[in-house]
Amino acid sequence: MNAAPSPLATVRATALGYAPRVLQGRGWVLAGLVALPVGLSIVIFTVARLQGADGHPGEALKIFHEVLVKMMLPIMALVAAPAGIREDLEQRTLPLLLVRPAPAWALPLGKGLPWFVWGALWLVVGTLGLQVIGGDPSLLPLRLVALVSAWWGELALMTLVGLLFKRGTLWGALYFFLWEPMVRIFPPFLQRLTFTHHIESLAGSRAAEVGANQLLAQEQVTTHPILACLALLAFGALCWALAGWKLHRTPIGLAGSEAEG
Amino acid sequence: MITLDRASLRYGPILGLSPTTFELPDGGGITGLLGPNGAGKSSLLQLLSGLLPPSGGEVKVFGEAPFRNPAVLSRLGLVPEGDRLPTGLRADRWLRMMGELSGLSGEGLKSAVAKALATVGMADRAHLTFARMSKGMRQRIRLGQALMHEPELLILDEPFNGLDPEARLTLMALLRDLAEKGTRILVSSHILGEIAQLTDRILLLFRGRLLAEGTVTEIRQLLDRHPVELRLTGEAQVLARWAVEQPELAALRMEEGAVVISVRSPRDILPRLQKAAAEGGIPLRALDPLDLNLDAVFQYLTKDHA
Repeated sequence: MNAAPSPLATVRATALGYAPRVLQGRGWVLAGLVALPVGLSIVIFTVARLQGADGHPGEALKIFHEVLVKMMLPIMALVAAPAGIREDLEQRTLPLLLVRPAPAWALPLGKGLPWFVWGALWLVVGTLGLQVIGGDPSLLPLRLVALVSAWWGELALMTLVGLLFKRGTLWGALYFFLWEPMVRIFPPFLQRLTFTHHIESLAGSRAAEVGANQLLAQEQVTTHPILACLALLAFGALCWALAGWKLHRTPIGLAGSEAEG
Repeated sequence: MITLDRASLRYGPILGLSPTTFELPDGGGITGLLGPNGAGKSSLLQLLSGLLPPSGGEVKVFGEAPFRNPAVLSRLGLVPEGDRLPTGLRADRWLRMMGELSGLSGEGLKSAVAKALATVGMADRAHLTFARMSKGMRQRIRLGQALMHEPELLILDEPFNGLDPEARLTLMALLRDLAEKGTRILVSSHILGEIAQLTDRILLLFRGRLLAEGTVTEIRQLLDRHPVELRLTGEAQVLARWAVEQPELAALRMEEGAVVISVRSPRDILPRLQKAAAEGGIPLRALDPLDLNLDAVFQYLTKDHA
């Protein structure tokens, strides 16, 4: 009889076992979500420069906040999370994993890790790409930290939501595109319950532009960058842990359904 | 090895398995789990393989409750129904991962993967992705993943579904071989012929209830308590006259050139019938037992409970 693998060995085995998945269709969609907008802005910037126009200094910041943070990061989480442990649940291949002596609670993290690494890689590439169109070099490290730690948290949150709800992607989309934008009108306490707040605390605000639709905005609070980073990482770790707990506790049968245990 | 004590399983308001009690002793051998679709076979197997905890009663495998129990799970292998495998992965790498999740590592893992692939006859095609494999090949890989850690208990849920005749025979031979080497095998099927070819020890399930348990012979003895139909071909009138004199006769109907009799205890009446025919006492040209086979037993028992 073999000894049951440790949680670390379980995470490692699952992550390496499923790693090739990121190099398939969904993985390249994930890469494209970062590479396309950044690549397009570089092309436009280059064409503009060739025609003699000056690049706008706030352009890189705008793309970072308005495109990568607000749109692409949530979409990446919505695309990648269903390919994690949720995929095995839907494809009914989860029982093959659950009848192993490995700790079930380590499986969501193990399956999500390749997607985290792949997405983080492209976010780093994208952020570096923004330097070409005039990104502030002094803000680069914090922007990288902000995006990668937010990606960690958002992917973990979506993995958890995918295990908690049948329509996890829908709930995730509602959270990202209804709750997060309300950070501008939230009181300080609620602002801290958004990814946007912590990302902006790390990477700087959205170019200090306040539109007419934000006249009712509450006072924008900030969190110390280290605390913001820790908050994102801790939130992600908590979500991975809760996803593992949910999987461990939930009886999941061959039909992917729960029985009354 | 396996003990169920009034174990039941509910899916919300639906009863998947009524309170069931039975025991399977230690040691090798094949036990067939028979029943039509929806009989509760998969529910029972899910309880035994630790995927689902019982809604009531107690399930013990190797003396412990199997649900999320590494001590039990490291000693059993499961081949679930169907041919589903994770998309986009290569068989050898996936098996490697499954071996690691079973606690194998290093050289032991390497040799376990190679051995499992050789056992299921997939050593030369292990580099293929699952998408490029046929149904039979995927079924073999699914069997391979269950064998890698050399489990003492192997559970197979409808393993013959979708296999071509050759693959079916290969799988049967493999299971017999494993059983001879000491692995306890529990295999479910809704086709009696498949189980009858594999084993003599069966559990009959129907509508979530365990109807009967024992060897095929023991199950057949149940027939002695119930009428069995025999078709006697020959001069129908004379055969009918002989039949009505027999104490075991329960019913009789005439057909063209034959008489169909329904008798209790066929093992008592058959020798007398053969003797009478041999001595020329009755003009019998052919005798066809209409339902004296395992399918009939199953039909019979399930009809009683329907």
